[in-house]
Amino acid sequence: MMIKKNKLTSPLFREDADRKSVERKLRFLEKIRKHPTFSFAIFALVLVLMQVLSKAGLVSSSFVTAIGTTVIFCIVALGFCLLLGYSALASLGTAGFIGIGAYSAYYCLVEWDLSIGIAFIVAILAAFVIGIIVGYISLRIEGIYLAIVTLGVAQIIKEVLSAICDTIKIKGSQLTLFGVETMKLKTDHVFYILIAILFVLMVITQNLMNSPTGRAMLAMKNSTSAAQAFGISLLRYRLLAFIISIIYASVAGLLYMMYVRYVSNSSSTLFTLSTSLNILGAVIIGGTKSIWGTIGGTFIIYGIDKMFLQDIDFFRENPTLITLFCGILVVVVVMFYPGGLAQLVMELKYKLTKLSKKIREARYGKDLG
Amino acid sequence: MAKILDKLLPNSTERILKLRQSLDWVQVEIDALEEKYQTLKNKEIKKFTDKANKALVPSAYKACDKAEYADNVLGEKLQAYDVKNYLKHRAANHKAAKEIFKAIKEGSDYSSALEVLSRSNAAMLEKRDAFVAKLELEKEKFLKSNNSSDNATYESLSKDYILKYEAFRNALDEKYGTMHEAEKAKLEAKAEILQKKIDTEKAKGTSEKTLDDDVILSVKGLKMYFGGLRAVDDLSFDVKKGEIFGLIGPNGAGKTTVFNCITQFYKPTAGELLFTTKDGETITLTDYKVHDIVLKGIARTFQNVEVVKEVSVLDNLLIAATRNYSSSLLVQMLHLPKLKREEKIIRARADKILKYMDLYAYRDRLAWGLPYGVLKRIEIARALMCNPQLVILDEPAAGLNESETHALAEMINKIRVDFDCTVLLVEHDMGLVMSVCDHICAISFGKKLACGTPAEVQSSKEVQEAYLGVGEE
Repeated sequence: MMIKKNKLTSPLFREDADRKSVERKLRFLEKIRKHPTFSFAIFALVLVLMQVLSKAGLVSSSFVTAIGTTVIFCIVALGFCLLLGYSALASLGTAGFIGIGAYSAYYCLVEWDLSIGIAFIVAILAAFVIGIIVGYISLRIEGIYLAIVTLGVAQIIKEVLSAICDTIKIKGSQLTLFGVETMKLKTDHVFYILIAILFVLMVITQNLMNSPTGRAMLAMKNSTSAAQAFGISLLRYRLLAFIISIIYASVAGLLYMMYVRYVSNSSSTLFTLSTSLNILGAVIIGGTKSIWGTIGGTFIIYGIDKMFLQDIDFFRENPTLITLFCGILVVVVVMFYPGGLAQLVMELKYKLTKLSKKIREARYGKDLG
Repeated sequence: MAKILDKLLPNSTERILKLRQSLDWVQVEIDALEEKYQTLKNKEIKKFTDKANKALVPSAYKACDKAEYADNVLGEKLQAYDVKNYLKHRAANHKAAKEIFKAIKEGSDYSSALEVLSRSNAAMLEKRDAFVAKLELEKEKFLKSNNSSDNATYESLSKDYILKYEAFRNALDEKYGTMHEAEKAKLEAKAEILQKKIDTEKAKGTSEKTLDDDVILSVKGLKMYFGGLRAVDDLSFDVKKGEIFGLIGPNGAGKTTVFNCITQFYKPTAGELLFTTKDGETITLTDYKVHDIVLKGIARTFQNVEVVKEVSVLDNLLIAATRNYSSSLLVQMLHLPKLKREEKIIRARADKILKYMDLYAYRDRLAWGLPYGVLKRIEIARALMCNPQLVILDEPAAGLNESETHALAEMINKIRVDFDCTVLLVEHDMGLVMSVCDHICAISFGKKLACGTPAEVQSSKEVQEAYLGVGEE
């Protein structure tokens, strides 16, 4: 029996009970606060707030549009982070797979007059099928050769798509939720959908990274023979990472069509190698294994010029300087922080704790013990 | 096309593997049932006692010794006061110390600093005394108004609660006992169905080869050619259940190649590899893919340590248990309760093995930069994580010093008993091999020289020649 007199007569009993319940609540809150999903939710809320502020006229609408397009590339980069950081496979075909998503959106919504939900399913299925075919053939090859194969595949996809239809365009009236005429999606609605999908994918990616699958991928990246000896099938996990990254790219392509609504194959660079390389750069700048790093890297590559530099007259008059600026940034980051932004933040944190300790010691003397 | 389809669809052996895996999980769940219900019970009991405690507070307050009560309350208050003023005190001391040091360095007088310090200390003490006096006053006031002590109600109430508690416990036991039985019966029925399925799948299979009862691994006429190079040439040996079997030979004799053939990293050119699994079934290892071997109960370590360096030591062990998870990808993406349950069970097992291997201190450290001896131990722990029947150690003593090698020999002997497994090892350190192994097979240039107990192998002339060269007569 746990009831004891001396425990009950303990002076702080009443206060103790109260304090314990408060502490329990605080611990619960702390647990939530430290959960990675919480920080993702805060990030999503901040992005949504931007849209709300722009409606109130406090933020320019071009700023919000820049955020929207950056978020789309963030989705691509998340998939690529799983592929590069966890499986050490470099694909240069990302742009082609974005194209698949974009064209399936165009065909579903405009040509076949289907609803958005079905367009999502079609985009994912198309990516899945192409991923299996390409992956099954090319994943037997390792390293740089996979990059070459995917580069070729992306070029083929681009040529085929532009031969089918050069310019794809979706009118605002063709974007309806569940195919209901009255539920038309305006650009700001699409923005909310974008943020929601980014949030869901961030959570899913985080979960995958902390699951047996993520660990298996890391094992495979470090030592193929050890991975095989412990029951990890190389082909299976490589295919998995490849297909996941392709599905992310395809979903991003679909969202791009919903948000920007217009791509011209001959004049835009969206489906060309430069997009693939930009995504690769973003993931490397961010730090290949971290979700926050990836998001940060994408915001540097895609976000900075659209969000800030376009507002400065000097850069608007000399658009090539924007690329130069981004390029210098990339060089600086890679030169001084090869682990990417994730490493930079880690080092800053470390320095901050060291500094606070120093200040404390200067004031109160050395800590004992 | 048909070939690709054949590869994509699971064949009979893969189906059996999958069924066996789900059967294993059912077994694990049955084992974990008791703990699960115990925690549920504990939760309810805690709820009950908390409630009882709360109900007993007023009478307990009446029953207690008031002076003691007041002392305790005031003691807490005084402690809180001291904690609050600790940093102030420390800052004053630090400041004074700094000034005094400076004065000593310059050779000037520091009595003024000392004076300041003693004055501030005195002021602080005065303040504290005033606080204590205030507390004393409070105590007196309290004791004046409450000085009665009534033990009887408390005693009767608590007796009452003890009776209630016992009744509650009995009811709880009964309730969870029936639930436990029902769930266990359900799971056992599931296990039976799975076992039946496995049996029917097995019945479909062809050619049952048999081994002697006490032989766990049998290598018959193994040949492995790399082009014209005959790395292993017609090698045969038997490993008995529960023994430590050593494979020795000079550099380049093909020892590691034999291991790679057994674990299917290389597909042997010719020869037969038979293995007895946990449930007495004899299988041909060459039928399985390299990543399925571990499920059959063969785990290995590597000559040059292949620990995953960018994750923690615990995660390294979890990697070895990847095939033990039965959660699908969707469950893993959403972190559903099923995955959490499995993680809990597997993590507990990993912790147990870490403690066993004396690695628990490194549990959450990155494997990056750990000492070589520790990495070697991690490798062995990782192999044990797969519940192996046969552990294959590839040069476990390479790079270890003498005392570490000695500890390793003890550990290998201990592992064999505690984990009920057979050990097959390749080693250059003759001291280790001769002291630990029950049987030894010596090979040179892929050919068997001698096989037998350590003494027999040591006295074999061919082995001596292979190691020392042919003597001139």
